[in-house]
Amino acid sequence: MTPAAKWSAAADAAKATEAAEATEATEAAKPARPAKPKPRGIRQTMSDLHTWSGLLAGWLLYAMFLTGTVSYFKEELSDWMRPEVAWQAQTDAGEVAQRVADHLGQVAAGTSQWSLTLPTERSNTASAFWRMPQATPGARRTFGSANFNPATGQEVKARDTLGGEFFYRFHFQFYYMPVIWGRWLAGFCAMFMLVAIVSGVITHKKIFVDFFTFRWGKGQRSWLDAHNALSVFGLPFHAMITYTGLVTLMALYMPWGDQAAYKSPAQRQELNMQVNAFLQPGKAAGVAAPLAPVDAMVREAQARWGKDQVGRVTVTNPGDSSARVAVTPGDGSRVSMSPQYLLFDGVSGKLIEVHDKVGPAAEVRGVMYALHLGRFSDLQLRWLYFIVSLAGTAMVGTGLVMWTVKRRQQLPDPQRPYFGFRLVERLNIAAIAGLSIAMAAYLWANRLLPTDLAARGAGEVNVFFGVWGATLLYAMARPARRAWIELLWAGAAVLALLPVLNALTTARPFWRSVAVGDWVFAGVDLMLWALALLHVMLALKAQRHKPRVKPARKAGPRAVERAKDDAVAGTGTGTGASAGTGTGTGPGPGVAGSATSAREGA
Amino acid sequence: MIHVWTLLISLAGFAALALAMDRHQEDLFGRELSPRVTRLLRIVGWAGLLLALGVIVGRQGWALGLVSYSGCTSLAAGLVFLALVVHQRRRA
Repeated sequence: MTPAAKWSAAADAAKATEAAEATEATEAAKPARPAKPKPRGIRQTMSDLHTWSGLLAGWLLYAMFLTGTVSYFKEELSDWMRPEVAWQAQTDAGEVAQRVADHLGQVAAGTSQWSLTLPTERSNTASAFWRMPQATPGARRTFGSANFNPATGQEVKARDTLGGEFFYRFHFQFYYMPVIWGRWLAGFCAMFMLVAIVSGVITHKKIFVDFFTFRWGKGQRSWLDAHNALSVFGLPFHAMITYTGLVTLMALYMPWGDQAAYKSPAQRQELNMQVNAFLQPGKAAGVAAPLAPVDAMVREAQARWGKDQVGRVTVTNPGDSSARVAVTPGDGSRVSMSPQYLLFDGVSGKLIEVHDKVGPAAEVRGVMYALHLGRFSDLQLRWLYFIVSLAGTAMVGTGLVMWTVKRRQQLPDPQRPYFGFRLVERLNIAAIAGLSIAMAAYLWANRLLPTDLAARGAGEVNVFFGVWGATLLYAMARPARRAWIELLWAGAAVLALLPVLNALTTARPFWRSVAVGDWVFAGVDLMLWALALLHVMLALKAQRHKPRVKPARKAGPRAVERAKDDAVAGTGTGTGASAGTGTGTGPGPGVAGSATSAREGA
Repeated sequence: MIHVWTLLISLAGFAALALAMDRHQEDLFGRELSPRVTRLLRIVGWAGLLLALGVIVGRQGWALGLVSYSGCTSLAAGLVFLALVVHQRRRA
């Protein structure tokens, strides 16, 4: 940006604030007001809280929102990332369970527990994990996992990848750090988000009057209108998703309640049964006994819940006379994650127990958990989750950008912003435009890294972070406006070319997927193009953004007054100026009022 | 299919509510509508939103219904918002 353009951008933004403030001033000044500055009102303090809680956690929240959003389609994404696994029609759940169980007997021999997730409409393979036999008693628990072909029961031979699971895990525990730290960090961010939502609602004084309002081309005012629309329309979702997100990990964040209440091992086991459908393996009897047929148990569950309603089979101590089998319903049947299962004797195959309800507190937790994950959703509802969640991502993004839009006008020297401003500006570019490129790069790596590469799955993730870091360096090296435009174009390009890369490197190009009715593959390709289009629109918008040239004098006297007010209020960076409470030093109501209406009419 | 109906009804509801606001009346018609029409639009709008709730909850029950309803209303409000922005831009 040329210095002149920069200056006019500042003037333009200043004008927008001025207009906004003038509106506020008219309203505030209707009754005669004393000249003395009023104490800061609740809206202004809440506005500050909103600004800073939003900014400090904003970059991580943006990443959590976007990776969480795509996680609503993680099964589809995982399938797309394992193109070797052929698309196939559904087969009977009982048969699949038996086939895979037979193979698990060999693959996971000597385990004390395995758990098998049956394939669904959305997922091509059966997946299983199992406890590794402990080398020494008391050593760390480790787990093995594999995917199985439902038609043959054989282990699937596909490229090593974390698939969509990476975005899902990153969403609440990040990467390159111990899981517990990551979850704590995610919890802090979610708490900041909750604070930002509540303080944002209090700050937004005209939720109903401005419900559908968008004032185009008015700088900061437009950003604020867009931010408000994205926040208010999705408010039930945003509040729900943030609160329930905290609930999913509440036992980690606040363990003291149940630590104090449940002391004996028996009580703790009872608690576990209320919240968890995973059987904990008991002590093995040491007497070998073959596992009873699993398919019969799955059929019994099907008879009870319906044909497509069986989700998972968990076995403890297989091959031992103390074996137990739990059959769990799939996620589609109800809006709750509270544990339900049928418990079978693993040797005789007899039904021992029907576990179908938990206490009210555990049920509340189960419902909130389910609401967050949305796994009960059919396709339409899943899309609604995705769209509103994407709006939430945009809400965080516009909020971050607004921090700089609002402050650019107040820079003493727009060509040499202070360090904090530059930091936020550059981090915004990398966190928003850079993340799209990094996520696309993860998919590029999935197609391009050699399949026999050691630790290939981790390699893909390293590419993701490497590219993300590179976008930050790029954002620091280039002028801010150029960096936005160039990185948005780059994001559009890498997204748009992914289906092309897919066509070149796999036997499942877009047209063939459409021809055979494989909507998982075709859908991911289409989605990538849609997202590429979105980036093109953003890039064009950034490119065309021409700050209107206005005489700078309008910003003059008021800016000085603002600076004075800030000095009095002691906020330094001038956060109060745009909070919209008008400290009573503006021009008279008549002048401000006519100025506003003139602008609104224009 | 039930989602489509819920979406369409809430779309109509939000459109009526938007039309009941003087800012958008000015925008669309160049003048404010009479208080009677405005009140009627407001009633129709809220009735539409309630009807949409009834339709989805009647079919899916409260648990799933409320979740779907919240998604459909968010999307519908967003679409009305976008339509108003597009209209505003085309006129400008």
